[in-house]
This record gives sequence, C-alpha cells and structure tokens, in this order.
Amino acid sequence: MSINDLKIGQCAIIDTIAGDTRLTKRLMALGYTKGTKVMLKTAAPLGDPVIINLRGFNLALRKKDAKNIKVREL
Amino acid sequence: MITAALLGNPNTGKTTLFNALTGLNQYVGNWAGVTIEKKEGYMGKGIRIVDLPGIYALDTYSNEEKVSKQFLTDGNADVIINIVDASNLERNLYLTLQLKEFNIPIILVLNMMDVVKSRGINIDCEALSKSLGVTAIPISASKRIGIDKVKELISEGAFFKTSSENGFHLSGEKEAYAFIDEVLKKCVKSSGKKQISMTDKIDKIVLNKYLAYPIFFLILFIIFGFTFSWVGQPLSDYLDSFVQDGIVPWVSMLMSNSKPWFKSLIVDGVINGVGSVIVFFPVIITLFLGISFLEDCGYMARAAFIMDRIMRKMGLSGKAFIPLVVGFGCSVPGIMSTRTLESEKDRKLAALLVPLMSCNARLPVYALFISVFFPKNQTLVLFSLYILGIITAFIVGIIFDKALFVNKEEPLIIELPEYKLPEFKDLMLHTWKKGESFLKKMGTVIFSASVIIWFLSSFNLSGLTDINTSFLSIIGRFISPVFKPLGFSSWQASVALLTGFAAKEVVVGTLGVLYGGNLKNVLPSYFTPASAYSFLVFVLLYVPCIATVATIKKEYGKKMMAISITYQVVLAWVMSFLFYHIGSFISGLV
Repeated sequence: MSINDLKIGQCAIIDTIAGDTRLTKRLMALGYTKGTKVMLKTAAPLGDPVIINLRGFNLALRKKDAKNIKVREL
Repeated sequence: MITAALLGNPNTGKTTLFNALTGLNQYVGNWAGVTIEKKEGYMGKGIRIVDLPGIYALDTYSNEEKVSKQFLTDGNADVIINIVDASNLERNLYLTLQLKEFNIPIILVLNMMDVVKSRGINIDCEALSKSLGVTAIPISASKRIGIDKVKELISEGAFFKTSSENGFHLSGEKEAYAFIDEVLKKCVKSSGKKQISMTDKIDKIVLNKYLAYPIFFLILFIIFGFTFSWVGQPLSDYLDSFVQDGIVPWVSMLMSNSKPWFKSLIVDGVINGVGSVIVFFPVIITLFLGISFLEDCGYMARAAFIMDRIMRKMGLSGKAFIPLVVGFGCSVPGIMSTRTLESEKDRKLAALLVPLMSCNARLPVYALFISVFFPKNQTLVLFSLYILGIITAFIVGIIFDKALFVNKEEPLIIELPEYKLPEFKDLMLHTWKKGESFLKKMGTVIFSASVIIWFLSSFNLSGLTDINTSFLSIIGRFISPVFKPLGFSSWQASVALLTGFAAKEVVVGTLGVLYGGNLKNVLPSYFTPASAYSFLVFVLLYVPCIATVATIKKEYGKKMMAISITYQVVLAWVMSFLFYHIGSFISGLV
C-alpha cells in the first residue's frame, strides 16, 4: 500500500519509494528512507495534494507522487 | 579577499542572516543562464558573502542545486556558512553532510535556538562540532542573538582551525540519515513534552475544508486593496497628477520662449517619459510589501498547497495563482512576482500568461467602447472580456505546457514551514530592492521607449507636426490593412493601437486626438458593435505595454520577450478575427 491509502492522522513505516529518479532522489534527500515513520497529516480542501509529516516537518505532495511512497502499517 | 558561501535549507532564516551580515551592502543579480536570483554582499572590506539558493540537497537535479554545486566545485568558496534550523536538525544536517565532501571549512550556524530552548531541548554545540568536524555556533537571527559571534568568527578566520578532512563519504541517503540519528542521539537532549504547536493550530483553521478558500480570497482581497485601492494606486495617481498638473505647466511656463520642438521634447517626451516610469513605483513597492509578508510568515506555501489542484490544469503549480491575480491590477508587478515561484518552468510559463489577465490600464478603453456600443449590457460585456482573458490563459497555458516545456513537469514538493512573524527589516530591504531594481533596469527602457513614441507621434520628415501627419500616422496607414479582416480598418485605430504600446490607456487619448470631436458621437461612424468588440478583444490580448515587455526582458531575457510579443500579437489577431465574424453573424441574425 502507499501513503494515499492511509487515513488522515494514520502513521506507517516507509518501505520503498518507486517512481522516477528525480522524485525518489528528492524524497530520499528529505529523509524519506526505508524504515522511517510517516504520518498522513491532512489533505487539501479539494482532496489533493496531501500533507505528510516525517522527521518533524510537514511536506505537501501531489497524490500522483505520493502514491510512489510504499508503506507498511505500524 | 575571503569568499564565504552562505548555504542552507529554505525557511532557515538564511535571508535574515545574510541581511544581518551584509546590511545594505548587497547586490542582486542572476546566475548565468538561469532565472535564479544571485545575491552577493560584503561584510567589511575583505569578506565577500555569496547567498546561494535555499536547497535541501546538492544532487537532486534542480537548477538551484546545480548552481550551488557548481559554485562550490569551482573552488570559489574559502568557507561555507551553513545555516540550519536547530529545531529540525535531522533533515537540515543532511545538506551539511553533503557539504562536508567539498573539503571546505564549514561554520555551522544553528538558528532558531530560542525555539529550541522553549521546547525544552538542549543541544551540545561542542559535541556537535566535534562529531561533524565543523565550527558550530548557536544563534537566534530574528532576535539578533549570536550574529556578532558569527561575524567575529568569519573576520578572524578562526574556522580554518577546525579539521576539514573528509571522513564523511556516505554511500547513500539511508546511511547518511542513520549517521545523523547517531550524532543527534549524542548531542541533543530533550526534556520537554510534545505539545500542539501554534502552527498546527493555525493550520487547522487556514487549511480547513470550508474556510481555506474564503480565507485565501480575503487575504488576496486585502493585498489587492492595499496595492490598487488604498495605498499603492492612490500614491501613483498622486504622483501622476503632481507631474501632469504641477511640473508640466511649470516647465511649460519656464520654456515659453524656447523653440516649440524643444519644449515638446522636454514636456511631452522627457517629463512624460519619467512620469510613466515613476507612476509604477508605489504600486510595485506596496504589492511587494504584501507578497514578501505572505512569503516570510509562511502562508504562501499554504496558498500554493490549496490552489495546486486548480492551477495544475494549466501546467502551473499552486503558487502561480498569485502573479496571475496581481496581473488584473498591473502586469508589471505580476511578472516581477513570478520570481517567487519554485521551478523555472513555472516562472516562465506564468510570466507569459500574466499579460492575458486584463489589467487596470485596459479598463478605460473598454469603458469607452462599451458605453457607446453596448449601453444595455455594459456589465455583461465588460465581464465577458475579463472571462475571455482567463479562459484564453487556460488554453494558452495548456498549449505552452505541452509545446514549450515538454517533460518539464516537476513533482510538487513544498515544505510547509512553521508560521512566524516576518522580520520588519527583511521586509523593508526586500521591498526596497525590488523597487530599486525596477527603477534601474526597467526605468531606462520604459523611459526611452516613451521618448521614441513621442518622437514618432510628433515629427515627420519636415519636422515638428501633429499626430495626424506624423511618422506614426504613416506607419498606421501602412499597417491598417492588416486589421481589415478584424473589422477596424481605419488608420486612426491602427495608430491608437501603436501608441497603446506605450500604455494601454493611451489608446483612448489617441483616438480622441485622431478622430477629433466627441468620441461618443464619432465612434459609431468608424465601428459597428461587432468590430468594436473585436477591437476590445484585440486590446485585451495584443502586445503588453512597454513596461511589461521591459519587465519580461529584464527577468527572463530577450528570447522570452520575443516569444511573449509574438504569441500575443498572433493570438490577438486570431481571436479578434473569430469574434468579429461570430459577432457579425449574430448581429446579422438579429
């Protein structure tokens, strides 16, 4: 499952990041590495993009990018 | 001369530190080949500080990162000042580890120590310095604590003593973060308990499903009002009337004995030219005060977040909404504010679309024609022009997105920083720099172009004349056949469009001079309702005014300027053609 499958406020552990290297590289540099805890914080009023909390900061990502972040439940 | 490179993540207080170190002694330019701002300043005589773009890493392909990396690889920096947000060391130190690989001494400036302390966190700077092989200094830039120590350290060159050997070549992101976690475990002790932060509380309201858009539009309304109704525009109008009613009559009186052409040069050419530059100044200053405030307090990232879904349809990211809305007031500050967008593609595409938003200067032209030709449906017709501009922007955006910027779709990754009260000093400095750069760079172009248009409209081969027989009227007669398929073939209309290049509201004045007499009575003999609407569509869409063109050239170069002018002329012609024929068809039916 991916971050998009989480409910608002739900936490999970990052498994892998798929998608093109431009995206993975940027996310990895921001600390989206395997085994890190993430939380789906909230979604924009129109449902997309979403805000993800990780390592103590908030990041906005479009759903089509966020779906590449594969997670497993805690 | 020592060169210090200032580097750090976005939202770490980098600009505040840069301003505190250099004061007014700074210069803004562009990095070669990209539209990324380059700021340089001097601290004392022998120390140059280069403010590199705010980045999270050095190897993830963005232009900002390439520029920074190139600067360091070229061996330009003697020391790196790496500013980090001490309340978020984990992510911030990732860049620090990458910087270690350049074997340049690093001063690690731990900013926002006041926030750290208030959260009951204790950072052992000495241990941090040792484990990373850097010189760490705690500061609080917004409270001006520790800045003197940073200055001292740089000017004494004490940082050279720290070991800068590189034991940090880490194989990947995972290893780097594991290393950082290890270091932080040793150096950071937290005693405070987690509490809901102020930022979370504000976001609950500002990003609320039902309140988000009303709040956003209210904020835009306030900034718009501040710029175009309450402060900026009134100041501009005041300046304008001061030039027109104060300076012009006074100078004319002084020059009453000079030759007519010389008097015309000074009064109609030079003074009007200067006037057309300075009337923009208050608008630009007030608008940028507002935009810098939104940017610095942290709201801009939220605006980008909630508008992204809509703006993405035209190939732009959420933040581009602001420049487009500003364009309804005036294209010049609209284009200037595209500078604040994240990606180069966004900046360029937005700059091309801003002039399609119907600016204030076009309103007098609409008002005149609508009152003459569409007295019954004034509001509807006026509204239709604004909507036409927006719809056209969407379509053009989609086309340019596909044609000009293929495969340039950047993933949207925006950090939502903690809210904070902007620094008054930073706001003032930023706003002033914008205004200054406008006067210096664009002022000269706008001024010279105004003088050229004055010359063309006041002279012909035999000397000073009136506009009816001037060079401009010759050009107007020459090009008027081009407009025949659009329904307005009188040479007067062509000349008016030419002078409209100086500023769109001038179209009305020129028509007045050329047709003579009361326009309300004269216009119907030259235009039908269909050709009047076609003319308005043309005014809406054709080449932005000189000031806009000069701004595009200054911000994005000659090529973008050429694209902007060409596509708008073609677009205006095609759309006017369509509307003239659709209009004629409909009025034929009635």
